Amino acid sequence: MYKSKLRVLTIFMFCLFFLGLTSVVKAEELRIFSGAGLMKPMEELRQNFEKKNNVTISVHYGSSGEIFGMMSMGQTCDVFIPGAEKYTNDAVKNGWLYKPSIIKIVKHIPVIVVPAGNPLNIKSLDDLARPGLKVALCDPKSAAIGKVSKKLLGKCKLWKKVEPNVVVFAPTCNQLLIYTALDQADATINWLDVTTWAEGRGKVQTIKIDPARNMIKTIPTALHISAKDNPLAVKLNDYIASSEGMAVWEKWGFEACTR
Amino acid sequence: MPTFEDVWMNLQSEEMRFSLTLSLITGLISSVLVMLFSLPIGFALSRLRFPGKGIVRTIMDLPIAFPELVLGLCLILLFGKTPIGAALKSIGINFVFTQEGVVVAQFFTALPYAIRIMKSTFDFISPRMEFISRSLGYTQFETFIKVSLPLAGKGILAASVIAFARCIGTFGTVLILAGGSYMKTETLPVTLYLNISYGNMGMALTSGLLLVAVSFAAIFVFEMTEVKL
Repeated sequence: MYKSKLRVLTIFMFCLFFLGLTSVVKAEELRIFSGAGLMKPMEELRQNFEKKNNVTISVHYGSSGEIFGMMSMGQTCDVFIPGAEKYTNDAVKNGWLYKPSIIKIVKHIPVIVVPAGNPLNIKSLDDLARPGLKVALCDPKSAAIGKVSKKLLGKCKLWKKVEPNVVVFAPTCNQLLIYTALDQADATINWLDVTTWAEGRGKVQTIKIDPARNMIKTIPTALHISAKDNPLAVKLNDYIASSEGMAVWEKWGFEACTR
Repeated sequence: MPTFEDVWMNLQSEEMRFSLTLSLITGLISSVLVMLFSLPIGFALSRLRFPGKGIVRTIMDLPIAFPELVLGLCLILLFGKTPIGAALKSIGINFVFTQEGVVVAQFFTALPYAIRIMKSTFDFISPRMEFISRSLGYTQFETFIKVSLPLAGKGILAASVIAFARCIGTFGTVLILAGGSYMKTETLPVTLYLNISYGNMGMALTSGLLLVAVSFAAIFVFEMTEVKL
């Protein structure tokens, strides 16, 4: 009696195991490594492309440093979209990306972000050096905006004055937005597009940085070297930069690159 | 994959030393605070009957079910720009983006676990001993100190170790409340996360190994001490 029960159980477990195996072998799946700040347009682009082409796309969102690091560890993706061009260029140099597939999509514009109403009347980068001001920035080693903020302030000879005011270096631009929306910092430097998100709507205000001082970045999309001959991956890369794709980018507060 | 030499080099880096020291110091302070609170709370929940006890117990256990990030958000809202936050700031205490915030984050993450263990411990101790002690002239407080606490020795030890391990391993709460800033509020789990986001896998793996080693040491000491009790 006990043995027959055990046999039934074993057969049942085997069936489950094979079911599990067969579910792994399914339709084609594409992988995107994307900067965390591009989450909103990427999710919309992903869903549109999935519907049209009957594929599943998994997107890994992380800071630009993180997704770059994942490729350095030998992890592969089909499409790579960091928060700034520098990461794509470095990845091409390391032989991870297929250079001819690079398409510049949109501009990534740094702005000063303050809590709604701008209670401390911040007008320019110089104001961030005001003694006693609580500034929140992104970690320069982690997120693209962190690197840009440090360079930007360095270029204006403000880094040494602003650094003592920095109360927190957040790992991603998303976390930085939350801190501004929760009124935990007097001023931050973040991407313009991030401030259009619902999380910050009505809670934050943007102040433009003087164009002569600003460092506007470009977001490129590119194919991983392992995906260059995969027609579906090529199609996805092209779709992200297509006019239909651009409409999604613009909807989320991005400005198209004049190609 | 990082080699053994890489791990050894990473262990000696300034960042790793800072992170380990901060983790151990904040972990110890938080664990002591957790035990100071969980002993009376656990005892009260086990021995006292009062209206709304079910609600109180549920509230005490809630953070166990929360993702740590939610707890971090709740704490930043509590200690941020609120009357409570302002009152604390006026006496020079700031929990947002500071090392004190690390302690607070760890405290609230580990407290419910310690309370649960202490409550079960007191549930298993027969109240008869306490009645006898009271009938022989001890006050309730003296009974708690001289009878209940010594009987709860093993439970106190278990709760302390679990609290310490939870404090050392707390990530999401620390990340949100204390900001997870490099070399400022960087505990071991934050080091792991930051180095993943820097694309520095060697350091990330080393901090992971270090976390395992610290937890192993804590639990091993607990097992050894429990045998002796």
